[in-house]
Amino acid sequence: MQELMSKIADAIKTGEEEQAKALIEEGLRENLGPARILKDAMMPAMNEVGMLFSKGEVFIPELIVAAMAMEAGLEVLKPHLGEEGVGSGRVVLGTVYGDIHSIGKNLVRMCLEGAGFEVIDIGEDLRTEKFVDAYKEHSPDILGLSALLSSTMQRMPEVIEAVRAVDPGALIMVGGAPVTQEFADEIGASGYAPDAFEATLKANELLSGI
Amino acid sequence: MNGKERMLKAFMHEEPDRVPVWELAFNEASIIKLGRFFTDDVPPLKFAQEMTMEEKVKLLNTLFTLVRELELDGISSILLLGTEPVDQDHVKDGWGRIHRLSEEGELTAVAGPVSGPADLKNLKPYHPQQSEFIMLMAAKGNFPDELAQVVVQPGPFRESWMFLGSMEKLLYYYMKEPEFVHALARAATDWILELVDMAVELGADIIALDGDLAFSQTTLMSPAQYEEYVFPYHQEITEHVHRLGKLIFKHTDGNAGPIMEGIAAAGFDGFHPVQPQCMDIGEVKADYGDRLCILGNIDCMYLLPFGSEEEVEQSVKETIAAAAPGGGYIISSSNSIHPGCRPENYIAMVRAARKYGDYPIRIEG
Repeated sequence: MQELMSKIADAIKTGEEEQAKALIEEGLRENLGPARILKDAMMPAMNEVGMLFSKGEVFIPELIVAAMAMEAGLEVLKPHLGEEGVGSGRVVLGTVYGDIHSIGKNLVRMCLEGAGFEVIDIGEDLRTEKFVDAYKEHSPDILGLSALLSSTMQRMPEVIEAVRAVDPGALIMVGGAPVTQEFADEIGASGYAPDAFEATLKANELLSGI
Repeated sequence: MNGKERMLKAFMHEEPDRVPVWELAFNEASIIKLGRFFTDDVPPLKFAQEMTMEEKVKLLNTLFTLVRELELDGISSILLLGTEPVDQDHVKDGWGRIHRLSEEGELTAVAGPVSGPADLKNLKPYHPQQSEFIMLMAAKGNFPDELAQVVVQPGPFRESWMFLGSMEKLLYYYMKEPEFVHALARAATDWILELVDMAVELGADIIALDGDLAFSQTTLMSPAQYEEYVFPYHQEITEHVHRLGKLIFKHTDGNAGPIMEGIAAAGFDGFHPVQPQCMDIGEVKADYGDRLCILGNIDCMYLLPFGSEEEVEQSVKETIAAAAPGGGYIISSSNSIHPGCRPENYIAMVRAARKYGDYPIRIEG
């Protein structure tokens, strides 16, 4: 049984989507339990790849294939997880107005999904009202704002102000190349992370503080 | 010594009379705002795509005026790819790639003619058109031999992911479909070699190979993946440029540290822009200064947009002290003069380069 759990973890780490799906199906047939497969095999595997990425020991391609295997595995698992689902929380994610860059945001999405979050990616180059509308519509636990340019990151405080006018307690995370912890503090963001994997750690930290 | 001689001497790792000053790119808004310091004859503030032909010509003339007034040593031309409108926010280029228009002036492909190995046959070669070099032709006409003509051209990595409309997709295929990745790079490189031929024929002295390979923390691919999927194409391009008797440097934002050795080995003559948040120019100069001319490093993320003119001057002084002694350094911003940069700060940067940039450099390091 432990061997099968290790195999599932290895398939996620090496980004073998088909193998991950087949092994997870096998695990379900052998009554390993969906929650156990998720929490003891898949999430630790994704976590390990994320940590290696943060340390510079693996690069974006390895992170992407692991995230894709995780996503494929979750598709198999989700129908068996019951009403609670994966259960980490819900995040709405988007890139601020004027900024069409997407890869940073997309990596954050992949890592958050790998950590069990439900992520609603609302896209790039979004005006403030789009964030407000999405916040009202999806009632996320966290709103994530991304920007690649120092000129576009100046639009983040406007979004924070508008969303907090709707929900003063809104948890809002910011990130992207020019964004720093100092800037995040200055504009009143709830959290900042320097890379996609650390964004999942920060999101978990913010939610555990509720 | 004229600007072109100054730039070429820096590339030869020799000391010119003063540190050359040059810039990879100015956006429309930057050209107009800077141009107002030197002329009243500037076009209205809007994107080039929304300008009439007359306004576009005026924009180009404003750029030439500011290059002349600021006595820059080189002028950069970009490739103006022929496109047709798809809708209000998107255009399609000759490869069939759909680009989203942005207020920041950069075209980024959001969809390509290929989605994966199964439909590779949809990638039909596109050949360069002379009209796409109109900016180079105008620059050459205005500055026939006194300035270095730098032509910014696409690189094989960026063009490969643009064929797919997504960088993530290409990086996924790095792990899954090596032959497909090589096929995309091959198509991109064949086009780039044709572009080089045309650029050189029209007067280019230096090719700037565009396309980021890194982000703030590290490179987009591992050094081994760079060696496998990018290096051979870079080498082919640099050899081609050298056969034509011209120079080529690599541009990438971010921390290119893990692949710097590969960039030097691929035969590039220079490296731009040494983003100061990610790389230390003193270390880059010490490690690669004998093989690569270093260009850039004046911060356009915080300093040029939000700093004071005094802070800009101090940064220029420190950067010249670190990178200019012995030659092999060309000063520029750490990317481009984008709309967020204060024009006063850019002018302060150029003036400080003149103040501290005379050789031999006499600033305490």
